[in-house]
Amino acid sequence: MTRLRGNAVAPGVALAVFTLALLGRSLAPNDPEQPVAVPWSAPSTQLPFGADALGRDVLSRVLAGGANLLGVALTAAAAALLIGVALGLAAGWWPARAGRAVRWLGDLLLAMPALVLALVLAVALPGAAAVVVAAVLSGAPLTARVVAAQCATVRDSGYLHAAVERGEHGAVVLIRELLPALRGLVAADVGLRLITALQLATTLAVLGFGPQPPDPDWALMLSENLPGAALNPTALLAPAVPLALCALLCAATARTATREREGVW
Amino acid sequence: MIVRRLTRTALLVLAATVVVFAATEALPGDAASLREAGRASPEQVAQAREQLGLDQPVVVRYLRWLSGLLQGDLGSSLSSGRPVSDLLGQRLPATASLVAVALGTTALLTVAGLIVTQLRRGRGGMLAAGLAAVPQAVYAAALGALLSATLGWLPAVSLLPPGGNPWQDPRTLVLPALTLALPSAAYASTLLRGVLTDTLRRPHVVDAYRRGLPPMLVLLRHVRPFLVVPALQVLALTAGWLAAGTALVETVYGLPGLGGLLVSAVAVRDIPVVQGAALMPVVTVLLGMLLADLAAAAVHRTGRPATVRSARTVESSS
Repeated sequence: MTRLRGNAVAPGVALAVFTLALLGRSLAPNDPEQPVAVPWSAPSTQLPFGADALGRDVLSRVLAGGANLLGVALTAAAAALLIGVALGLAAGWWPARAGRAVRWLGDLLLAMPALVLALVLAVALPGAAAVVVAAVLSGAPLTARVVAAQCATVRDSGYLHAAVERGEHGAVVLIRELLPALRGLVAADVGLRLITALQLATTLAVLGFGPQPPDPDWALMLSENLPGAALNPTALLAPAVPLALCALLCAATARTATREREGVW
Repeated sequence: MIVRRLTRTALLVLAATVVVFAATEALPGDAASLREAGRASPEQVAQAREQLGLDQPVVVRYLRWLSGLLQGDLGSSLSSGRPVSDLLGQRLPATASLVAVALGTTALLTVAGLIVTQLRRGRGGMLAAGLAAVPQAVYAAALGALLSATLGWLPAVSLLPPGGNPWQDPRTLVLPALTLALPSAAYASTLLRGVLTDTLRRPHVVDAYRRGLPPMLVLLRHVRPFLVVPALQVLALTAGWLAAGTALVETVYGLPGLGGLLVSAVAVRDIPVVQGAALMPVVTVLLGMLLADLAAAAVHRTGRPATVRSARTVESSS
C-alpha cells in the first residue's frame, strides 16, 4: 500500500504541475505582455515576483509561459513514444527483417546528437516542428530498442502462442496480447522521452527558434531576465524553478517506473 | 575486427551526411528562394537557383556535395561568401578548448560523484538522474546569475573575436565549461551507476567487502578495472553530447566557436555553413565511439589478467 502510494507521488505531482502550467494563462492577474511597474521592480504585495526589464508582471508571465513549452514537449514525447513502440513491436515480432533495420537506424541516430538534429531541421521547419521531428528521430529508436528487447523475452510465452494458434490477426496479437505486457516499460519511457523533448524545446526557444518576444515563455524568460539577475533575482528564479521542477518530476516518474532498469536513457 | 569497426564507422559517417543533407536540402524552401525571399523577382530566384546548382536533382546535388566534402571543400557561405572550411577552421580552436575543459571537468565530477554516492551506499542516484534531466539553459541561467551577476567573479560574456585564443583569458571558459559539465557529469554517472551496481554484485567484490577491506580500497582495486571499458564508451558519448551542447553555451556566453556558428547559420539559413558545422559534432561522436571501441579491445587483451592476478594476490595474502 505504501509502495503504491509512493509510486504515485511523482506522476501525480507531475500531472498537477503540467495541468497548472497549461491552464496558467487564465489565472494570470495581469496582462503578461503589458508593462505594469518600473523595470526590475523588486517583489511586493502587488507583484509577488516583481517586474522584468520592461516592467511586466513576472508572476503573470510565469503563469502564462509554460503552456507553449510544455505543449511542444508533450507532443514531441508522445509522437516519439508512439512511433518508438510501433517500431519496437515490429522489430520484436519480426526480428530478422524489422529488427536489423531498427538496430541500424538506432545506431545512426544515436550518433547524431538530438540538438544538432533539431538545429539542422530548424533551417526549413518552424522551431516547434523541428523539436517534434528531432525528438522522434532521436527518441523513437531508443524506445524501439527497449521494447524490442522486452518483446523478445515474452515472444515465446504460452498465451501468445495460444493467440496465434487461435488464428488471431498479427496486428491484433501485437496490440491486444503483447502491448499490455510492455506497460511498465512504456510508462518508464514516457518520462525519458519527455525529458529529451523538454530539453530540446527549451534550448531551441533560448536560441531564438521558438516563441518570439513579447510572448511569455519560460525558456525565453531565462535569457530575458538574466541581465537583471542582480536587480530582481526573483524574475530569473520564477521561470527557472518550474522548468527545473518539470524536468525533475519527469526524471522521478521515469525512475519510479524503471526501478532496476538503470542506464537505459 | 578492426577493419569491421572502421567500415562501420565509415558507413555511419556516410549515413550521417545523408541525414544532414536531406534535412537541409530536401525539405521545402531551398537556399535560393530563402536568400532572395521578398526582394527578388521569380526570374532572379530562378537565376540564383541555377547559379547555386539547385536546378539539379537532389541525388546529383548530394553526390556533388559529398565529393567536395571528401576533398575538404564544403562550399562557400551564402551570407559572407567565405569558404565554409575557413570558417570552421577559424572557430575550431575555441570549441576544442571548451569541449576539452568541459570533458575533463565532467570526468572528474563523475568519478567523484560515483565514489561519494557509493561510499554512502548508493544514495544519490535520484539526485544524479534529476540533475541530468534539468535543461542546460537553467544551468546557464543559475550559474550566470550566481557567479557573474551576483558575485561578480566571472565575465558574463566573452568578448573574444572569432579566431581568438580563449586561453588568453581562461576565465571566459569557466562558465561555459561548468554549464556543459554539470548536467553531463550527472548524465554520465547515471549511465555508469548501472555498471557499478552490477560490478558490486560480483563474487570477488562481495568477498572483499566481507573480509572487511576499506571500501575505498575495494573500489580502487576490485571494482575499477571493470569500469574502464564502459567509462571509455560513456566518455566518447559525452564528448559528442558536449560538442552538441556548445550550440547553446557558446551562444549564451558569446564564445566564437562552432556551436555558435551553427546557431547563427541556422538563423540566417546559410545552408552550406549549417551542413559543415552540423557534421562536426556527429563525426566527433562517431570517431569517439570508434576510439573507445579500439581502446576497449586493447584493454581486454592486456587489462583483464592483471585484474584477476591482483584479486588472487589479495586472496592469498589474507
